[in-house]
Amino acid sequence: MDQMEENEIELETVVLDDTADEILPPSTEKIATTNIEEANKVEKIVRFPVTRIKHLVKMDPDVNLCSQEALFLITKTTEFFVECLSKEAYSYTSQSKKKTVQKRDVEQAIDAVDALAFLEGVLDS
Amino acid sequence: MAEAVPEEELTIPRAAMNKMIKEIVPSVRVANEARELILNCCSEFIHLLASEANEICTQQQKKTINAEHILGALDRLGFNDYRTDAEAVLKDCKAVAAKRRRQSTRLENLGIPEEELLRQQQELFAKAREEQAAAEQQQWLQLQAEAQMSLQQQGDVPSNSEDGEYS
Repeated sequence: MDQMEENEIELETVVLDDTADEILPPSTEKIATTNIEEANKVEKIVRFPVTRIKHLVKMDPDVNLCSQEALFLITKTTEFFVECLSKEAYSYTSQSKKKTVQKRDVEQAIDAVDALAFLEGVLDS
Repeated sequence: MAEAVPEEELTIPRAAMNKMIKEIVPSVRVANEARELILNCCSEFIHLLASEANEICTQQQKKTINAEHILGALDRLGFNDYRTDAEAVLKDCKAVAAKRRRQSTRLENLGIPEEELLRQQQELFAKAREEQAAAEQQQWLQLQAEAQMSLQQQGDVPSNSEDGEYS
């Protein structure tokens, strides 16, 4: 008899989806947040891990909060950045008829493009 | 996933970077030093972008950096080329997010009024309860039968009709 009581069924009440949304105060940003993250898992918008980029962003003590959309944008533009830098570097590689992109090629790319001037601090020499 | 990376060495994961580079310049070899440099450049880029966006954000007296601030920062930093593509991504983000919202509200459009759905749900629960109870009853009788059999095998207790009276 005791066993029967232990095995009593516990049914969870399933609330129909959308009434809950209307009862709670709508937080559009929050909904957009979860949706973008979930959506990214299904149809990849960004490749680089957003959480890692979030850490990088937060390293700056002056930086305020950053919206999820903004983080996604930063992630995506960083991907563009890699694309540009790599292609630019490669142009020097093929000019010198080499088959391997060397550090020197990347450095040349940095020198050549005005917008990349901020990277001069990263170079050794 | 806890990351025990000291802050100064925080970069995009190398694997992700390598994969990306491979797609950009396939069948081209890239020296490790070059990869490392690109990696560090990325970190710098992110810091710069965030910092610039933060300035714009503060100027607008907002507390949270949003997508517009990022786009503005790209312009200011001389990366307008990225802006068009970035805006396209933003549109994608919003479209996909909106699509997911629509998908989750599709339940409303079934044409079945809520009370009816609730009623159906209660019916299903009741049915489930019955089936569960029946299954447990079955189990209980089974256990009893087995217990009885093992007692008989021991030869101690002769089969007694009273034993079948449990409910």
